[in-house]
Amino acid sequence: MTEPLTQTQPCGCPAGEPSRALSRRNFLRVAAATGVLSGLSAPLLSTKLAYAAAGPSYTGDVLVVLSLRGGFDGLSAVVPAADPHYYSSRPDLAVPASLLLARGPLFGLHPALAPLLPYWQAGTFGAVHAVGQADPTRSHFAALEEMERAAPGTSLRSGWLDRMLGVRGIGTTFQAAQLGSTLAASSFSGLAPELAMDNVDDFKLIGDSAFNLRRAAALRTAYASAPVTQSAPAVTALGALATTAEMAAAGYVPGNGAGYPDTSLAKALRDVARLIKAGTGLQVACVDYGDWDFHENLGGPASGGQMYDHLSVLAGALAAFATDLGTAMSGVTVVTLSEFGRRLAQNGSGGVDHGHGNAVLLLGGGVVGGRVHGPWPGLAPAALDQGDLRGMTDYRTVLGEILQKRCRAGSLSTVFPGFTMPAPLGIVSVRS
Amino acid sequence: MTTSRLTRRRLFGVAAAGGVAVAAGPFVGAASPAAAGTSLSSDPVLHLIRRATYGITPGLVREVTTLTWPRWLERQLKPNGISDSLCDHHLARFPLLAQSSAQIRATQDGSWQTMQDLGAATVMRAAWSKRQLHEVMVEFWSNHLNVTCPFGDAWDSRHRYDADVIRPHALGRFSDMLVASALHPAMLRFLNNDVSRKQSPNENFGRELLELHTVGVGGGYTEAEMRTSALVMTGCSIDHDTREFLYRPTWHHTGPVRVLGWSSANADAAGGLAVAQSYLRYLAMHPQTARHLARKLAIRFVSDAPSDALVTALAQTYLAAGSDVRPVLRQLFHSAEFNASIGQKVRRPYEDLIATVRTLGLGPDATGTKGSRALYWIVGSMGQSPMGWTQPDGYPDVANDWQSASGTLGRWNAHQQIGARWWPNTLTGPPIRTLLPASLPATWGAVVDALAVRLLGQKLAAADRAAVLTCIERSATGSVRANDEWVRWRLSYLVALILDLPLHGLR
Repeated sequence: MTEPLTQTQPCGCPAGEPSRALSRRNFLRVAAATGVLSGLSAPLLSTKLAYAAAGPSYTGDVLVVLSLRGGFDGLSAVVPAADPHYYSSRPDLAVPASLLLARGPLFGLHPALAPLLPYWQAGTFGAVHAVGQADPTRSHFAALEEMERAAPGTSLRSGWLDRMLGVRGIGTTFQAAQLGSTLAASSFSGLAPELAMDNVDDFKLIGDSAFNLRRAAALRTAYASAPVTQSAPAVTALGALATTAEMAAAGYVPGNGAGYPDTSLAKALRDVARLIKAGTGLQVACVDYGDWDFHENLGGPASGGQMYDHLSVLAGALAAFATDLGTAMSGVTVVTLSEFGRRLAQNGSGGVDHGHGNAVLLLGGGVVGGRVHGPWPGLAPAALDQGDLRGMTDYRTVLGEILQKRCRAGSLSTVFPGFTMPAPLGIVSVRS
Repeated sequence: MTTSRLTRRRLFGVAAAGGVAVAAGPFVGAASPAAAGTSLSSDPVLHLIRRATYGITPGLVREVTTLTWPRWLERQLKPNGISDSLCDHHLARFPLLAQSSAQIRATQDGSWQTMQDLGAATVMRAAWSKRQLHEVMVEFWSNHLNVTCPFGDAWDSRHRYDADVIRPHALGRFSDMLVASALHPAMLRFLNNDVSRKQSPNENFGRELLELHTVGVGGGYTEAEMRTSALVMTGCSIDHDTREFLYRPTWHHTGPVRVLGWSSANADAAGGLAVAQSYLRYLAMHPQTARHLARKLAIRFVSDAPSDALVTALAQTYLAAGSDVRPVLRQLFHSAEFNASIGQKVRRPYEDLIATVRTLGLGPDATGTKGSRALYWIVGSMGQSPMGWTQPDGYPDVANDWQSASGTLGRWNAHQQIGARWWPNTLTGPPIRTLLPASLPATWGAVVDALAVRLLGQKLAAADRAAVLTCIERSATGSVRANDEWVRWRLSYLVALILDLPLHGLR
């Protein structure tokens, strides 16, 4: 189990070794990397090695965290159509009630979410509204960092997914992955290994393959004693190469006739589906879909509008992912997160500035969908938080319920330190 | 920032080999960090070159040694005194970059060509300019006051932002750069201040001005002051027909304003531009701005966790010098903390790529620009296209943010294809065989030593050397034949392997 990383312990680092400058955190990771390497006797680049899991297998849902960076406008996605303040505050931007999908007594879905409507109706796509962070900041950078650290009031430097993996204590090279990006989310920061890759097919060494096997062996040796910031990604890369080569050679035909749109989000989700189906031991995947910072020209509810087009990409990719996985979606939960929502009132540029409370979208076989969960504060001026939708549900409440009911988590005291989990909202069913 | 992508990606890293569970505890006592690896040379000349330039070239070590490093540094701090004819010659192959925004608008019709040219020319200058510290600082400030490139709404102005805002002030006063940046059409579009008016302010720029450009997060401002910051800047806009800067008095908020100890009666709209400039210059000289910049400079040049004492000292110098960065850099490079920081910075993908080109002794294309454009493309695929960070905060500059399995593979692949000249294949330079002494060393061990010294500036430790020899299936004492495959036609693989070693990944 991962200990809080800020605890100080004598690390035994040699004095006068400034080039290594090991913090306790780095020291632990050097220890882990070298310890593992020194025990390595299996053939290099063995597929079995890459797949092998030590200890009991993880039997929970694959958690897919879709990061909607830039400040997702939850009020446009899951529209509080019955609240007159929504329409009066956004005279040029509000989605007309007549265009909304799945109209309920209070909410309706943005028309661009149409590809996900069948899942809403089937009860596997749902939402939680008025979700917020404890930290009231409206800064992208501070809000993102706090959201992915998920430990307000502490000096922890690790991310919540890293602590989740640490508590789980079971790992393979592919246990945690960032797809569609060469850099991983800060929610993965810390000890547990994760694999960041643009895509499966390009994850390879170019050139003479026989030489590359020996090259990889030489690099394993050389990186074993390198500073951990260099060794950790190198060792992970070397450990994954054989598997990605096999997967690339095998090619991929999505299941159930799923047609992924030609977007980078869809490509990344397609690779997540591949890793799940290939039995790589994937437990959690992060995918980014950013560019939601619509300070101007949010646009109308039709093709060409920025919000419409963005939601279309999101819905199209998620629908293809769910189609591709088919029955396997019973063991997958997708959750969207964004650092904050946007201000209720439109600004002078046809956009909306940074706000607070937001909508979270959920997709998966265990989701209690077809409805909008969570207490709703209303949008009357007195109900707002500095002009913004109030955060009624801490986002950790949403994640905590998913972790406990779907991902075999017990106590959340390490994952969300200092957070008292309230009664669950009922957003997911208990995994059988 | 409407068209930019916010995709903040950070991590502190990974630690496990293939398929084996890692529990931190059991390994703690067993580890002996950095037991057998090659330690970076402590030669102060090499140390300064790794930090103040984009890496060694065949002639640079001798140049700095001959001149002595303090005098070389002084020359670098006055870039206009350094002849840069090779770079100037190749820059002329990007004629759009010399044109005004009006000229670009007259001929380019919304094309992104000028921004693509800026990217390729930036790579070219980083690799081959003699004004290396200036290029490094251009990169630093381009990130600090980031306007992402390419950025659709700056197709006609992004190259002028580089030429008129960043480059003239990169080794000058920050207050001048800040004012030029805030009032430049590229920044005004990027952070939407061009559409911010008193009735309906757009807070994007006013917020990032405080949070990123000046005092920084935790700089002491309140949310209300942030909103005032946006109000102060209202009216600073562009003419949406000519796309040039335009102050619009009717859009400017009037009335008393106060932010972080600065205040203005701000009585009439006609004086609004002067009020905004006064606000910007105040912020540039705010002690929190000094600390924010001092810390970023120390992180760029010294270590990922510079001491508070160094930051404080640099901040004092910054304020005493009226925001001139030159004395700050001089103090930084002469500091004991810099001297002791050998090996404490990792190269990001961009720095790895440029260092690879430089140490291989490659030169720019004989004709045309294909090679520079290829390098620009490659580094983009490695995740660090110059000026390409899509958010206003610029690329991160600490090792924890750059650990990536696919990023590591990308570096190794770049070493292979650039070293072998598969692609780009138009760069000039002597044959790869000249990386070895004309008279071949007698043994394979000596060949590896010679290559390591030539490419990395130092020999390898025994374990690394042995690993390299095992890889090429030669023994250290084995004699070298001139027609051996590793000399004749597989030398590029051996070169790439040496560049793949952790040493080349440090700066």
